[in-house]
Amino acid sequence: MQLFIEQLINGCALGALYALFGLGFGIVFSTLGILNAAHGSYASWAAIAALAAVEQLKLPFLPALVVGVVGGGLLAVVVDQIAFQPLRKRGSGMLGALITSIAFWIILDNLAGTATGQQSLSFPRGSYPGTMFRIGDIPIPAMQLITVAVMLVVTFGLHMLIRRSRFGAAMRAVGWNQTAASLGGVNPRYVVIVTAFIAGATSGLAGVLGGITTHNVSFLLGEGLLLKGFAAVVVGGYDDVRGTAVAGVGLGVLEVMSAQYLSSGLRDGITYALLLTFLLVRPRGLFGSLGFSRP
Amino acid sequence: MKSWNLKNVSLAGAALAALFVHVGPVSAQGLAPGDYKVGFVTENTGAIASAGQSYWNGAQLAAEEVKTQKYLGGASIVLDPKESGSDAARAIQATNQFVADPSLLAISCCILSPVAGSLKPIVTEAKTPLVIFGATAAGLPQLPYVYSMTILPGPKDKATALTIVDAVKPKTAAYILAADNDAFKGRMNATREALEAKGVTTAGVVSVLTKDTDFTAAATQAMGLKADIILVYATQGAAAGAITALKDRGYAKTIVGNDVLSPASIFKKMGDSVVGVPFPVSFSDSIVETPEAKAFVAAYQKKFNAAPDIYSAQGYQVVWFIAQGLKSLSGKPTREALGQALSKVTKIDHQVYGGEAMNNGQAETAGTLVVAWSAEGKIVPWVAPK
Amino acid sequence: MQALADFWRTYQSTVAFAIVNAFFALSTYSVLSAGILSFATVTYAAIGGFVGARLILQTGLDPLILLPAAMAAGALMAYVVALIFLRLESHWMALASLALILIVRVAVINVPSLTGGVNGLSVPVTLPIGVLGILLALAMIVFYRLSVSWYGIAAQAVREDPAVASSLGIAPRRIQTIAFVISGAVGGLGGMLLALVLQFLSPDTYFVNIAFTMIAAVVLGGSYHWIGSIIGAAVFTALPVIAQAFVPHFQEVANGVVLLLIMIFLPRGLVDPRAIRLRRAARNANANANANADADGAPAKVASAAGAAL
Repeated sequence: MQLFIEQLINGCALGALYALFGLGFGIVFSTLGILNAAHGSYASWAAIAALAAVEQLKLPFLPALVVGVVGGGLLAVVVDQIAFQPLRKRGSGMLGALITSIAFWIILDNLAGTATGQQSLSFPRGSYPGTMFRIGDIPIPAMQLITVAVMLVVTFGLHMLIRRSRFGAAMRAVGWNQTAASLGGVNPRYVVIVTAFIAGATSGLAGVLGGITTHNVSFLLGEGLLLKGFAAVVVGGYDDVRGTAVAGVGLGVLEVMSAQYLSSGLRDGITYALLLTFLLVRPRGLFGSLGFSRP
Repeated sequence: MKSWNLKNVSLAGAALAALFVHVGPVSAQGLAPGDYKVGFVTENTGAIASAGQSYWNGAQLAAEEVKTQKYLGGASIVLDPKESGSDAARAIQATNQFVADPSLLAISCCILSPVAGSLKPIVTEAKTPLVIFGATAAGLPQLPYVYSMTILPGPKDKATALTIVDAVKPKTAAYILAADNDAFKGRMNATREALEAKGVTTAGVVSVLTKDTDFTAAATQAMGLKADIILVYATQGAAAGAITALKDRGYAKTIVGNDVLSPASIFKKMGDSVVGVPFPVSFSDSIVETPEAKAFVAAYQKKFNAAPDIYSAQGYQVVWFIAQGLKSLSGKPTREALGQALSKVTKIDHQVYGGEAMNNGQAETAGTLVVAWSAEGKIVPWVAPK
Repeated sequence: MQALADFWRTYQSTVAFAIVNAFFALSTYSVLSAGILSFATVTYAAIGGFVGARLILQTGLDPLILLPAAMAAGALMAYVVALIFLRLESHWMALASLALILIVRVAVINVPSLTGGVNGLSVPVTLPIGVLGILLALAMIVFYRLSVSWYGIAAQAVREDPAVASSLGIAPRRIQTIAFVISGAVGGLGGMLLALVLQFLSPDTYFVNIAFTMIAAVVLGGSYHWIGSIIGAAVFTALPVIAQAFVPHFQEVANGVVLLLIMIFLPRGLVDPRAIRLRRAARNANANANANADADGAPAKVASAAGAAL
């Protein structure tokens, strides 16, 4: 029983990373219509930036986290403006954007490899909260609590932003139809830039937190999150961030439990089979509404 | 292993090598002066580029030394690098390009066994010697064209585990295994059998995958087995991740690692977590005995401003091994002649690990060093906890 | 002459990989030409490759005799995929095919008796490069015939507007199913050829990277004409080799930059039938001011609408 609870906590913390990462991926897909293969690279670069802030600038945990998150957001805006904006103007649709995002994925990951000297680095101990809480016999590392808490806060914040704010309405409007949105008094370019920034920043948040908890800061960091975050988005449903959060955590728990009680060789198979099942049986995901469609 | 035999060989080898180093150019029959090209399939990008760069650095240094020490008289070895990014398709293309270059005498390649496996038919057909610098699958070498300068880690794992079991006297053992890597699976099984024969029962095997990044769950699972000792058989990233996760969760009993923990970058990454974890190593810059090894460490430090690791040593030995083959030839040798010459090498002249010999194309060394990282970041002989 | 022979020997394996990649690109093009973005080519390739390799090892027959088996295996898989996946909308289709690749890799690792598992599978035979060239030439003839056949025109109509196509009496689902089967056969063939060129298969041989390179090759070459896939595959295979010569330390980055530049400045790819038609139309208009250029202009408009749809 104790082992089960420990693994449940591990699964939630791992799943929170998938969820955090998936949030931005899903927002970009549902509002901008881009399947962004470079989304993982933002996470890698955010972690590298935060690590540089810790090691070179000697910044403490929180400011370093901010450096990583803002860095991830800015990178996403740059990529959007170079790789997606020209295609958007031309209206060339999803396939072109997928290819340019693959191009940036290749470029950014390779530069990340060069930046880290092809090594997997890690945050020095003491540069992040390393306390281990204990409830009874069950150890809970502070970073796991932080990851889950951050994920909940970000999900709630994004949900309010998208569903309840004027800006959220504008985002949805741009996602629905750019021309109509601009007729309705929304500046689509501004909305696109802010959306890209939010996506990059959440990916960056997942990257920094994941880089710390898994002791792995390298170009492979984002790649690992990419497929699982993508699964979380599909299972959760694209147009509802709450779905992504629930599905992300669910996938994390499922992954940990299947490794513990079944076999780690089949672990990823189970995740992807679930993904495929959702695509076939319930493509709108757990919480998604039926009305999702893009031309 | 016939250790007495190897020791003799190693003594003889060391003496011979010392002779060559100090006496300088010996050109009995005389290799024609000039540049001899060796193709080097680099792996300086991709997932395992950190090791790849070490191999390449070591090889470059050796080529330089062969020239400056006039080991081949007026002849020298020139390396021609082509990048593969550890991708089989690109390695094949690079190898075919090498084979097509008539001025090229030999090729060196491969960290990954599947990649090495797919190059074998090409070089065998082209009758071009291939010296593998990193792949560890058994059965890769094939005389007279395929050689491996990688010391196979399997036997060392077993010897290390037995040494540690004698000191720590555990009753049960748990294993963390990279389940998608067959070499490690074999290494774990050999060790496990040896330990079970000594009465150490197996509490369980926790599988991880090479590309995993999160090891918290695996560590929790391994600790849940409540074994007296945990042995880790996994690739570098996975082993480092698993051991760090174990330490993070407060595991205080003995953890046994493997040779992937030896590069300096691992200490930099893991810090405290890796201190005191025993593992076997065939080369470490802080435990070197032969004069060639000492010279190698100093020269490497000077050239690259970093300490050499086991991978640099392997890359370095590849070039020295090819040089040794070339040295026994005269005139303008062909690739086939070089293959024949290399197949006749049974003892290595240029000793870096100590006690090196070639057995059917496979490099071997005598003895096993059981070492661990000290808190100061040096590799030191492992001592059992009291 | 000697220099030419050396040059050929140096780059013949690059040519071999370019031919294999051309099959993958053609397979991806087959479904794209019926308006579907699918990455399942990798799955067909894996099945063709492992079935072919296993048959070679088991029967010892000449690989040429066994190629149809690989094609059939790929086509059968594609038919099953079409039955299940075709009811998905376009985006979901792409995602589902991506999930399929991931699942197939797990399966490959877990049935070592067929695939060699994590150890991989050694394939001790190969095909001369001339045979590869002949096979590609055959494929080109088939694709040319298809493009001018009733099927080719129907597929184009389905790609441009399925609703209009149905109203013309073309069943989009049926056309797309045929497209899948062609894609499967070509993909399975490509997979077996890759096995013969590599002479070694591992679980990573058929993975996501092939999917992305192939879709990139098709789009780069031009996704509106089958010849674009072959040219795109050739460019994409040669790119790393060229980059190696000029920017050895940043060759991957150079690949990405080239891909980016082509997509931004030549979004319809290197071979663009519309541009060719427009040029021809302009020439006609110039040569004969009274000729009605509208006849050539009209299909261009439809093609551009199709461009916007994907």
